[in-house]
Amino acid sequence: MKQAPRLWACAVVLLTSWPVLADMPVLTITGAIDGDEASLTVNDLRALPQHQLTTSTTVTDGTPEFTGFLMRDLLATVQAQGDTVVAYAMNDYRMEIPVSDFHDFDVLGALSMDGMPLNPRDKGPVWIVYPRDNHRELQDIRFDTRWVWQLVSLHVE
Amino acid sequence: MTDMGARTMQNQWAQYAPFLPVLLVFLGSLVFALAKSSALERDMRIAATQNMLWVVTQTQMEVLALTLAVGGPDRDDAQISQRFDLTLSRMNLLMEGPQARYLEDIGHLGAVQDMSASLLALDPLEMGHSPDLHAALFALGQDLHPQINRIANDVMTRDWDKSAARLDAYRATQRLIIIAVSCAFLAALAISWVLLRNQRRLHRTALEHMRAANLLEQERDVSAMYRDFAAIVSHQMRTPLSLIDSSMHRLARMGDKVGASDVDERRRIVGDAVGRLTRLVDTVLLLAKLDNDQLKARFMPLAMDQIVQSIMDEAQLRHPHRMMRLSCSDGAIVARGDRHLVGHIIENLLSNALKYSPADSAVELRVFAQGNDVACAVTDQGHGIAAQDQPYLFNRYFRGAEGDTRQTGQRSGQGTGQGTGQGTGLGLALAHELAQLQGGRISFETWPGKGSVFTLWLPAMKKRGEYAS
Repeated sequence: MKQAPRLWACAVVLLTSWPVLADMPVLTITGAIDGDEASLTVNDLRALPQHQLTTSTTVTDGTPEFTGFLMRDLLATVQAQGDTVVAYAMNDYRMEIPVSDFHDFDVLGALSMDGMPLNPRDKGPVWIVYPRDNHRELQDIRFDTRWVWQLVSLHVE
Repeated sequence: MTDMGARTMQNQWAQYAPFLPVLLVFLGSLVFALAKSSALERDMRIAATQNMLWVVTQTQMEVLALTLAVGGPDRDDAQISQRFDLTLSRMNLLMEGPQARYLEDIGHLGAVQDMSASLLALDPLEMGHSPDLHAALFALGQDLHPQINRIANDVMTRDWDKSAARLDAYRATQRLIIIAVSCAFLAALAISWVLLRNQRRLHRTALEHMRAANLLEQERDVSAMYRDFAAIVSHQMRTPLSLIDSSMHRLARMGDKVGASDVDERRRIVGDAVGRLTRLVDTVLLLAKLDNDQLKARFMPLAMDQIVQSIMDEAQLRHPHRMMRLSCSDGAIVARGDRHLVGHIIENLLSNALKYSPADSAVELRVFAQGNDVACAVTDQGHGIAAQDQPYLFNRYFRGAEGDTRQTGQRSGQGTGQGTGQGTGLGLALAHELAQLQGGRISFETWPGKGSVFTLWLPAMKKRGEYAS
């Protein structure tokens, strides 16, 4: 736990700079949606109905509580018409996700973990989180790869 | 529950006793195999944390991207900030939960923490972008790169070691499962065998039950037979007895007027009746002995021609008007048999022949040898035997419908009533059984309307000894 004070320092720094980030577009949606492109700020995302989800993850210990919007609510907001969403991360990680996932499960676009806002130096600002503890079939590497963190854009097909 | 009920239950459970150990082996093996398979199934899920090499490689790539961003000629501050954040996020990921434990295991956690600290010391968010900061970040990137490379190397080696060990464990488990399933299979075979054996036992018991039932049925038949026997025999005794009775009455009524010829005639009738009674009693005694296995043939060499001759002579006395012929093939023909029983058989065949043929026809007797057998054939010119009666001719109490009906004695009124066991349906049956008792048999040929030949076959005497006559 040697690095803990430094992490806290980092978090404090980010929290102070958060209002700046909150008004900047963090998520872009393209493809089969209403309009050509939708750019959403953290505030836009926070304006969506917020949900809590407590689940284990493959990269953290324990069962953190995530807060965020439901992915299906987001797609409904932009009137997405398609079967597949291609998710891109900040580092150009690309993953195709069937839209049915968002209807079959309460998949969250998490904005905070254990009350702390997610940030780009961790897995934020948006991390796709599946309710893996509630559904045994989600405890599978094929779903683990869909947990895209540092999500920056979605393309609906 | 009664004592007996309890015992029956106990017996029933006892039947299953041999099953228990095999059943335990069978179920135990199956449960073991199932548990092992289930553990294997759970273990075979791939967890993302196990993909540590990918995480380390991503970190390495981000460090490289940051180094390139700060090292280039046209530097973009926003891009550098983003690259910095990404690199830091990967470092943070490596220092989190499962990843941190993994790195600690291979002794690299400290190195990653130091890397993260030296990176944070050059945070553009705090220090602001400047050529100096960019130069320092470039130098740091070049310094971090080989270190991360070493970590990736160690992670790869460890992953392969772990994978190989895991596969070894899978193979060992698989072997155990195969052994357990084999055990279960063998146990199943054993159970099948025990089941089959029990079924065979049941089958055998059922057969025994059936046999017992058959025996009971036979027993009933035999007692029914004896009832018939008693009825028939007593009926057959009545006729000669009443003949004797009426003759005596007649003589008594005649009183002094009895002449020598009257006495002669009555004496003949009474003698005849006594003869019939004697033969009837003889037959009954023989049958009784035969049925109780008390009849033992006393074997001796028999000069057949002499025996047949004496029987024929005797019959000729009783039937002075019948024509009888005896022919013998050359010399002495010697059979092996019991003198008394053979005499009884031939008497029966001869009296039947006399009885069931017209009074003016001849009865012929032939004695001859054939192979290892000696035969005595009795030929009559009677009515023959109906085809439907022939298969039953040697059955006790058999009563034919028409024709010769030797066994039934329906036409006994016509004859002189001298047949042994005449009309009882016993004479031929007894003769046949007596022949078999001596290793011989009786055969017959018959031509309806023309006559019949009944032949007694006996084994020939091998050596010539003393002849009985």
